[in-house]
Amino acid sequence: MRVTAQTKAATRQRILDAAQGLFAAQGFEAATTRDIARQAQIAVGTLFNYFPTKEAVALCLVSEAHARAAEQFAADRLADSAEPLTLEEELFAHVAAILRKLKPFRKYLTAVLDTTLSPLTTLSPLTSEQADGDQPLRTVHLETVSQIVLRHGPEPPSTVALHLYWTLFLGVLAFWSKDTSPRQEDTLAMLDESLAMFVGWLTTRTNQQQNHNSGG
Amino acid sequence: MPTMAQLMDALPEPAGEITALPQGIVPERLEDWALRPVPVGAFRRLRVLGTMQAEVTAAYIFLWLRGWFKTAAEKERLTAETQWSTALRVLDSMSYLRGATMKVGQMMANFPDIMPAALVETLERLHYDAPPMHWSLLKEMVHNELGGDPEDRFASFDKRAFAAASLGQVHRARLNSGEDVAVKIQYPGIARTIRQDFRNLFFFLLPARFSRYWENLRQQFEDLRMRLEQETDYEQEAIMQDRVRRLFRDDEGVVVPRVYREHSTSRVLTMDYLRGQTLDQFVASNPSQDERNEFARQIVRAWYRLLYAGRLFYADVHPGNFLRLDDGRLGLIDFGLMLELDEGMWGQFRKMDRPMTTGRRDERIAAVKDHNLISDDPADEERLHLTEQLCDWFWKCRYCGREFDFGDEANFRHGVSLMIELGRKRYARGRPYQPVIARQTFGIHALLYRLKAKFDAKALAEADIAMTGWDRSDYAHPSDRSSAS
Repeated sequence: MRVTAQTKAATRQRILDAAQGLFAAQGFEAATTRDIARQAQIAVGTLFNYFPTKEAVALCLVSEAHARAAEQFAADRLADSAEPLTLEEELFAHVAAILRKLKPFRKYLTAVLDTTLSPLTTLSPLTSEQADGDQPLRTVHLETVSQIVLRHGPEPPSTVALHLYWTLFLGVLAFWSKDTSPRQEDTLAMLDESLAMFVGWLTTRTNQQQNHNSGG
Repeated sequence: MPTMAQLMDALPEPAGEITALPQGIVPERLEDWALRPVPVGAFRRLRVLGTMQAEVTAAYIFLWLRGWFKTAAEKERLTAETQWSTALRVLDSMSYLRGATMKVGQMMANFPDIMPAALVETLERLHYDAPPMHWSLLKEMVHNELGGDPEDRFASFDKRAFAAASLGQVHRARLNSGEDVAVKIQYPGIARTIRQDFRNLFFFLLPARFSRYWENLRQQFEDLRMRLEQETDYEQEAIMQDRVRRLFRDDEGVVVPRVYREHSTSRVLTMDYLRGQTLDQFVASNPSQDERNEFARQIVRAWYRLLYAGRLFYADVHPGNFLRLDDGRLGLIDFGLMLELDEGMWGQFRKMDRPMTTGRRDERIAAVKDHNLISDDPADEERLHLTEQLCDWFWKCRYCGREFDFGDEANFRHGVSLMIELGRKRYARGRPYQPVIARQTFGIHALLYRLKAKFDAKALAEADIAMTGWDRSDYAHPSDRSSAS
C-alpha cells in the first residue's frame, strides 16, 4: 500500500500529540516508545520509521515549539516597532518568547539537551529531516540571533560569538529545566545576566576590532 | 585578652570612616548621607556579587569574633586588625541593596561591646541596590506575575521607570478600568538572594554562640530576617498599606494610595498614582511660610495617627515618600518598612508619654534610666546625660505648648550632634527597637527642619491622642513646667 505524504504527516502528528500527552502525564522518563505507539494507535515499528528514539520525538516537539516562538517573536517585533529595543533587550525578548512556548516541555528539556542540543553533539538526529525542509533548531535560532546582532551593529556575529551565545543559551535552558524558584524567576535573572555579559563582551570586542582596523 | 576599646584604638584608620560630623558640613548633608537614594545608572551584577560579598563580610566578621573570643598574641592580634581594616574597605566598596544594611547597622549598634563602631558605621552607609530592569525583562516579570503581558493587563504602561523602589523600580500605567496607577516591580529572585545572604551571615556568626550576648544577637538577627522578608514581600506591604489607609478619613487631607490586589503579587505592587511634588521639590519651589507650615502639619498629623491610632512607626522617613499633592493634600507612599509596636513596646511607649510630654526634667531622667536600663553607676553618667538630652530634644516641641520653630538651625545642629555623639560612643543600646525609633523620629525632625516649619505640635498630638480614647486626665497641667530644662 502506498502511503501518501498526507497520511505520513497525519501519523507523525499523532505520534507527537500522543508523546506530548504521555510526557506531561507520566513524565519523560516513565513514558516508553511502546506507550507512545499504543497511544498513537500504531505499531512500535511504525513509530521508528518516523523517529529513531524517544529523545528524537522530544526534540521534534521542542523544535516545533521553538519554530512557533520564532514566528511569534518576528510578528511581535513588527507590531511593536515604534520604540526600538536595544540589542540586549531584543536578545532577551527572543529567548523569552522561546521560553514561553517551551514551557510545556520544560521538565524534560534536559533529555533533549543531553542528547541533541549540547555543543558537544555534532550530529543532530533531525539532520535527515532537512530534506523535508525542516531546519535544526540550532540553525534557526542562531540565524535569528545573527539578524538581531546585525540590526544593532556593523557586522554579523562571528562564529566564535555565535558559539559562545549558544553555550550561554543552553546553560539558561538547563538552568530553567531545573529551576525550582517561584514562577522560575531565577531563570529570568540568569538570562538577564547571561545576555548582559554576552552583549558586554560583544560590544567591547566590536569596538576593539574597529579601533584596530582604523588604527591599522 | 585585649578590651574592645584597646583593640579598636589599635586599628589602622579605615578609609572614609565617618566618626563625627566634620566642621562646616551642613546638617542636610548628614541626612543625605543616611538616606542616600538608590543609584539606578550602574548595572550591578547583584546575584553574583551579592553572595560573594556577603560571604566575604561574614568571613571577616567570623575572623574578628574568633580573635576576640580567644586570647590573642600581639602579632596575631595585629594580623586580625589588618584583616579587619581590609574588611572595612571591602565593606565600604560594597553597595548592593537598599534598606537592609541600614537595619544591620541599627541592629549591630545594640551590641557595642561585640560590634566595633567602625563596622556599624560602615554597614549603615551601605545600601542595597537592585539592577535596573529593561523592558523585555520587565514584560516577562509582569507576564509571569500577573498572568498576561503589560499591554493586556493594563490600558497603557510606561516602558521607562519613573522611580527606583526598594529592590526594584516603579512604572506609571493605566488600568483597563481607567485609574492611573504606579506599578512597583521587584527584580526577579532578589528577595530570596538577600535572605540567603543573611542566612550565610548568620551561619558565620555561630562562633559567637557561647558568648553572653548570643541570645540577644540571635533575636536581633531573627528580627532583622523578618523585617527583610517584610520589605521584600509586596503582599505584606499591600496589607500594611491598606491598614494605614484605613486610619485616615477622606476629608483629613492625607492620601494613602489604594492597592489594586488583582494587579499585585509578592513581586508586583499596583497602587494609585499620586500627582504631586516630593518634599524636596516642594521646598525648591519656594513656598510661603504658611504653605510650609501646613505641609509640615500634615506630615506630623500622619505620623501621630500612625503612632497613636495605628501603633505603627513609619520607618522609611525619606523626603521622596512625602508628596504634596496638586490639591494640597499630603500623599504618603512606601510602606515596605513599618515597625509595629506590640503590646510590650506599646506599654513602654505609654509609660514614657507622661514624663516626656509634661517636660519635667526629674521625671524624664527617671524614665530614661528605666527605659534604657541605665544604672546609677557613675560610669553610666554620660550615657544618661546624652540620652536624656536627646529625649528632651525630641519632645521639646510637644511639651513647650506653643508654636515650635523646627527650622531653628542651632536647635537642629544640637540634635544632630547628640545623635552623632550617642552613636559614636555607642550609647544607643537599651531596648532593641530603640535605635530604630530614635532614627525615625530624628528623620521626621530633619524633614521639618528642611521645611523650616513653625507650628504647635502639641495641639496636633493631643487631638489625635484624644481620638484614640486614651485617658491622660491624670497628667499635670501643661503649664506646670517649672522644672523643665
